[in-house]
Amino acid sequence: MSEIEIEIDGNLVKAKQGDSIIKIADREGIEVPRFCYHKKLSVAANCRMCLVDVEGAPKAQPACSTPVANGMKVHTKNDKAKFAQKAVMEFLLINHPLDCPICDQGGECELQDVAMEYGSDVSKFNEGKRIVPDKGIGALIQTDMTRCIHCTRCVRFGAEVAGIVEMGGTGRGEGVKIEPFLTEGIQSELSGNMIDVCPVGALTSKPFRYEARTWQMNAVPSVARHDLVGSNIITQSYRGKVKRVVARDNDSINETWISDRDRFSYEGLSHESRALKPKVKIDGEWQEVEWQEALDFTIDGIKNNAKNPEQLGVLASKYSSLEEYFLMQKLARSFGSDNIDFRIDQSDLSDGGSLESSITLSEIESIDHALIVGSYTRLEQPMINHRIRKAVLNGASVNTINSKQFDFNFNTELDLLSAPQKILSTLHAILKSLHLKIGTDVPKYLSKVIPDDVHNKIADDLIASKNGVIVLGEHLNSNPSSSAITNLIFQIAQITDLKIANLMLSGNSHAAERVGFMPTKNGMNAISMFNENTRVFMLMDVDCDYDFINLQSAADCFNNEDVFVVSMSSFENESLHTNANVILPMASYYEASGTHINFDGLVQSFSASVKSPGDSKPGWKIIKVLADLLELEGFDYINSTQVKDEALQSSKLKSSFDDVNAEIDDSQITTHWQYAPYATDSVSRRAKALQESNIGMINSAFVSKSTAKRLDINGDDLYLGVPVSITDAVAEDYVFVHTNQARRVEGG
Amino acid sequence: MNEVCFKNLGKENPASFTTYEANGGYQVWRKILKGELTPDEIIVELKTSGLRGRGGAGFPTGLKWSFMPRNQEVQKYVVCNSDEGEPGTCHDRDILRYNPHSVIEGMAIAGFVMNATVGYNYIRGEFMEPYYRFEEALKDAYKAGLLGKTLQGSPISFDLYTHLGAGAYICGEETALLESLEGKKGQPRFKPPFPANVGLFGKPTTINNTETFASVPEILSRGGQWFADLGVENSGGTKCFSVTGSVKHPANFEVPMGTPFSKLLELAGGLKEGRTLKAVIPGGSSTPVLTAETAMNMTMDYDSIANAGSMLGAGSVIVMDDTTCMVKTLARLAHFYYDESCGQCTPCREGTGWLYRMLQRILDGNGKKEDLDLLLSVSEKIEGNTICALGDAAAAPVVSFINNFRDEFEYYIKNGKSIIEGEHNLIEEATSV
Repeated sequence: MSEIEIEIDGNLVKAKQGDSIIKIADREGIEVPRFCYHKKLSVAANCRMCLVDVEGAPKAQPACSTPVANGMKVHTKNDKAKFAQKAVMEFLLINHPLDCPICDQGGECELQDVAMEYGSDVSKFNEGKRIVPDKGIGALIQTDMTRCIHCTRCVRFGAEVAGIVEMGGTGRGEGVKIEPFLTEGIQSELSGNMIDVCPVGALTSKPFRYEARTWQMNAVPSVARHDLVGSNIITQSYRGKVKRVVARDNDSINETWISDRDRFSYEGLSHESRALKPKVKIDGEWQEVEWQEALDFTIDGIKNNAKNPEQLGVLASKYSSLEEYFLMQKLARSFGSDNIDFRIDQSDLSDGGSLESSITLSEIESIDHALIVGSYTRLEQPMINHRIRKAVLNGASVNTINSKQFDFNFNTELDLLSAPQKILSTLHAILKSLHLKIGTDVPKYLSKVIPDDVHNKIADDLIASKNGVIVLGEHLNSNPSSSAITNLIFQIAQITDLKIANLMLSGNSHAAERVGFMPTKNGMNAISMFNENTRVFMLMDVDCDYDFINLQSAADCFNNEDVFVVSMSSFENESLHTNANVILPMASYYEASGTHINFDGLVQSFSASVKSPGDSKPGWKIIKVLADLLELEGFDYINSTQVKDEALQSSKLKSSFDDVNAEIDDSQITTHWQYAPYATDSVSRRAKALQESNIGMINSAFVSKSTAKRLDINGDDLYLGVPVSITDAVAEDYVFVHTNQARRVEGG
Repeated sequence: MNEVCFKNLGKENPASFTTYEANGGYQVWRKILKGELTPDEIIVELKTSGLRGRGGAGFPTGLKWSFMPRNQEVQKYVVCNSDEGEPGTCHDRDILRYNPHSVIEGMAIAGFVMNATVGYNYIRGEFMEPYYRFEEALKDAYKAGLLGKTLQGSPISFDLYTHLGAGAYICGEETALLESLEGKKGQPRFKPPFPANVGLFGKPTTINNTETFASVPEILSRGGQWFADLGVENSGGTKCFSVTGSVKHPANFEVPMGTPFSKLLELAGGLKEGRTLKAVIPGGSSTPVLTAETAMNMTMDYDSIANAGSMLGAGSVIVMDDTTCMVKTLARLAHFYYDESCGQCTPCREGTGWLYRMLQRILDGNGKKEDLDLLLSVSEKIEGNTICALGDAAAAPVVSFINNFRDEFEYYIKNGKSIIEGEHNLIEEATSV
């Protein structure tokens, strides 16, 4: 588009043909008041607050919807513009309750701010004000629709970004109500952004209600750790407690949005089960002790139980910081053990490293095709899913290979239902089809494979794609042939020249991989570690109820009298009391400085937003002191930045792929235990409002009619404690347990 | 009188295909199908005729048609606005009832000129009888091979569909009509982009009023100059007027532009017995009211009515006599706009309610002295600041009623009752039928 020149308030500025006046004004720092305009949403031009005077136009024009033209002269502050702006302001205020003293938006309200400049001190309105009854829309968003100014930002957010039209304007005229069409509450995993876009106090954060005023709080920029994105956030705390989390703009990462998980999980930090004091178990009794005693007890336990260094095993969740991972593995390796792992929820650890993604977050936006394998991206990686959705809106096509049909917020062309035990053979067929179509040699192990129409269609789409991506999701983690599957996907991506987006390892896994929080050739991994040779376990942020894929073998090991279990944890629960010998209370999210490495490999450090509660300490400090007490060398750190700098010098483990040709029995019924998105980590699991939201309450065992018959269960039953839901949207010979409940095993 | 849109009135079965054809109907369309007329010739003829959009805005039709990107290789649409909802108007209804084929032919010609192969006629939801008449006419036209694909062996195709509205006044606004036609809630779109570029389903679209389309075949068969000469300068041709209110014979009249108002009043039988003229709304409730004196001195054409301080609008002439209470009439009109505002944009959503409530309060005897100035100030703040013209339409009566009849309003506020003894309300009478 050609460059033109316009004049705003007497300043000559360059502009692109077709840009809106408001865009140019924003760029030039010229303030134009607005409510409905939002840079990431479509233009609505309904609030009329941004009316400006355009020379030659008889009426004032909305700056948001008026495109600039060469030589255009715009006045944003002359009498005509001001008259129109003040008129609109007056109209907006006549029916607004002006209940600012009891409104949570007070102090951060766009209406309040703009009214300061454009509003009048005295109202001329003598009639009765409008009152709008509220419909509850769920546990996360508090509505007070009497305050609504009908800007429709929330409506457009739902339709355009979240992809689920949940809010709409019903009725007409003065009776227009912005409300959900359905009564079961908001379903979107991005719903909290509606709070951010709402310019007034109509939509506010429910858990934050009446907690604090925005100006009382201490705002600290931070990074969210629940997924691979590392969304930029601001934590707001009051009297040492995180009271709210809001989005921070970063166009290449999370744009201006964050997921509900990132926004509302902070509530878990003040859960009653926080570990506040060091505790030791003596003769089966738990005792609260001082740190010194707990540390001595820990060191004695390690030394007494590990007859040699290789009897130490170290395990962590996917949600620790780079610094914690680095120091923990350094402690283990300095001690002499290579038994280190964070992949505690994976069934197959044979390939020693994960497949590297070859695409960046912002590149996903411009793909022309995606093949999603084993992922419900919308709930599992909401912000990455958002980029895929944007691509689909621009014409990209999506095929999926999943064990269940999922409710994506974009159209998929083809959903191939495949039980976990059959994914491998499905991929074999697709690979063979690709070989045949491209004309390359078919490897011998594929000779007996016969691709069908669906495989051929998927192959065709992959070949036709110029700029596509294959997405691997976290459902593959529990697949016993996940190494073979990733290997196949690697091959498919290679022969079709497509990119890979590996979403299998969530949280801060990239940091764990970067510092080598995995065994090298000699060490034992998260599966092989559970044997009689491991006598001491050090667990970091591990919840024995939820996190282990191999619940039983872990429990068997921990409960052995000769085994000593040290748990660094922010929370306590019964299983921890049963399994551990010492609990070292650890700082949780936002309570310690740290570093997250995201999908793009971007290293983002954050400082502590609040002090950790009780006697709990930042993880890296606990590890450093333990190392000192174990008389290990090289732990002379003064701050976490030193740890980070050293950690980043270590080079990432390189993954290699052999031709894996796993033979599996695919006639057995398999069960896949998939955590609902708000049950993934210890903090989210304890966030009250998240748990009460629709997504938080996901708890169903999906099974097909015929499989249910084979298992002799019906719709009223529980399967492994989870309510059964019989549907034809799930693969045969298979149960998809989508749940917020702790993992249970058959016969367990 | 009744030479163009109403030319078949009085004949047997005026709405039938046979009557229409017997009186020269479909001749232009057949000529086009034979390749004897080009789009450019048609546009020149329309420009000569001086035909201006009859929906209210009065935009020159020939010019409008020439704006369509006819050579762009995308689907284009022709839409007829038969959502006749302006209080006081009912002539489009009668065109649909008595001359539906003229609308069909006019739309087909428009489709040919603008290279649009699909048309929609959006008919007001309450118009059940006109809807069935038009549907029947459509069937006959299809049967005669005058609508459909590759007509009469020519490369020309034109399909026409009817769509019945759901009773919202706002859908008479062309972009709200498009939204409604797309199956959405009827709310006006902001412009630009204009429908000629981004219209129905995002495609180039031209929307004209029923009367405009119905005038086209006659103009083309008898010549643009003939039509222009019927009227006066700047207002070519004839125009249908609905005359309602305090007249002996309320009716629709198609008269040449420039006809004196007094003549139109005469045609409607003059005022009811024993009454004197008090005020006239010349173009529908959205246009400013005029005093009797002003009205009696004007002629019915765009310029004269504009000079008198109002607008020709949709040609809905509401006649009020000395027994009409202007306060009550205005309150009723304000209620209409309050009720029909779509609620999308702020000034109209909030302002129409404010106006109505104030007027209702005055009517209830609780008016305050400062209310009149506040009514004017609120109207001024709505005017020109809204997405569509409904805001202006709501403001115009308030301003003109108060400015022309301020005494009556002041009397009502002071005394808590109307200056008219045993007052009654003509608008209510006219619209409650």
